[in-house]
Amino acid sequence: MNWIIIALLFLVCVFIGYIFSLKYRKRYNFFRSLVLLCQKLDVEINYSRERLKNLFLNFDDKTKRNLQGLDKNFLEYLENNKSLEEGNLFKNINFLKQNEKDMIFVFFKSLGRSDLDNQSKELKNYEKRFEELSSLATTENKKYGTLSIKLGVVAGLMIVILLC
Amino acid sequence: MLKNILPDNIYEIISERISFNAINEIRMRADKPIVLAIGLQRFFLSERGTTGNLKEAMSASKIMLEDIIFRASECSIYSVNEQIKKGFIVTNEGVRIGIGGDMIEENGHIKTMTNFNSINIRIPHEVKNCSLPVFPMILEEDTLLNTLVLSPPGAGKTTFLRDFICQLSERNYAFNVLVLDERGEFDINNGKSLGNYSDKISFARKKVGFENGIRALSPNLIVTDELGDEEDVEAVRYCANCGVNILASAHCDSIESFLKKPSFKKLIDEKIFKRYVLLSMRKGAGTIEGVYNENFSRLGRY
Repeated sequence: MNWIIIALLFLVCVFIGYIFSLKYRKRYNFFRSLVLLCQKLDVEINYSRERLKNLFLNFDDKTKRNLQGLDKNFLEYLENNKSLEEGNLFKNINFLKQNEKDMIFVFFKSLGRSDLDNQSKELKNYEKRFEELSSLATTENKKYGTLSIKLGVVAGLMIVILLC
Repeated sequence: MLKNILPDNIYEIISERISFNAINEIRMRADKPIVLAIGLQRFFLSERGTTGNLKEAMSASKIMLEDIIFRASECSIYSVNEQIKKGFIVTNEGVRIGIGGDMIEENGHIKTMTNFNSINIRIPHEVKNCSLPVFPMILEEDTLLNTLVLSPPGAGKTTFLRDFICQLSERNYAFNVLVLDERGEFDINNGKSLGNYSDKISFARKKVGFENGIRALSPNLIVTDELGDEEDVEAVRYCANCGVNILASAHCDSIESFLKKPSFKKLIDEKIFKRYVLLSMRKGAGTIEGVYNENFSRLGRY
């Protein structure tokens, strides 16, 4: 019975470590998806000049999932006759820093507000900036994400040793 | 209509206190009163509806105009830039919004328009049966005669053409109608206002639209709005030479002034149009003033 409890405690520690690492993975996937979003918007806008609403509706499921609801919040704004608010855009998104939120907010606020050439230039510009954030998030994920899991394992092992 | 485009307070005042059906135009100019064209009269928009008192009038702001244009483009200005370059945009409900602002030119070409300072929202209306009085004069033994509808701006040309297409369909004249909708304002009811026998090419120049349409869709009749320059006239001649009938419109306030237009000289000399329908605003938009034959003899007075 004791061994079962010890094993459970070990697993709980590893799980907590895993939960901490998820935040870094989310950030990594989120910024990767923002880069893909810029690329896709640029191509579609130049090729079909399709409206933003249709473009956002037709994104693939994986990109939508990784955007953590940002696309849905933006679609809500497109469908309602309201101004874009930062609070609404980042509804249910809590893993971003304030400076990142500011940049993403300005990006979404500028979408659809200029002619084809300027919109394309803006998308390319933001793609570069999101790539920088994405590579930072990759480093963070590698460093802290792995560290969190390792710390979970170490903490679990320490509990096992102490209890044995 | 216009719910997603106009600011909430303006939409509510118009829909609750005035009615969109009564309005022909909404004119908004930056920092100036909002003007409504109702029938032949002009009113200011106020919190209580319409007013003639300038002090009670509601004003439009520059930001309001920009937002209306942004919303009218479905939040995608880049998708309507070609229209903006021509000075208007058309919403998905067929509402044409004329825009005033600063044109940006680059290498001799208009790149876009910025600094919007005025808009003119033209609200389309379906006037059922407005084309019926001239039906017997345009159709001879089930053949449609090439017809040009003439009127000053806002006098009901598009409404007339739209109703004519619908009447053809309702009376089962199974002409294959090609609607060349250069400004995207014919279809105001998701295709229902254009009957059952019509195809539509939108936002193409007349020359391109006529050539492609005739090749690809083999129409019996082409309907198009606002013939203007030499290129349009050449497109009509091409169409007539292909054996396709035409129903078109042009800006003009009288037969006399039409005859003075140099760009239409060839069409007049070659008698391509067999009928001319003159519309005016005398009793409201779409008043039929007369129908004329190719020699400009009046066939009917209304």
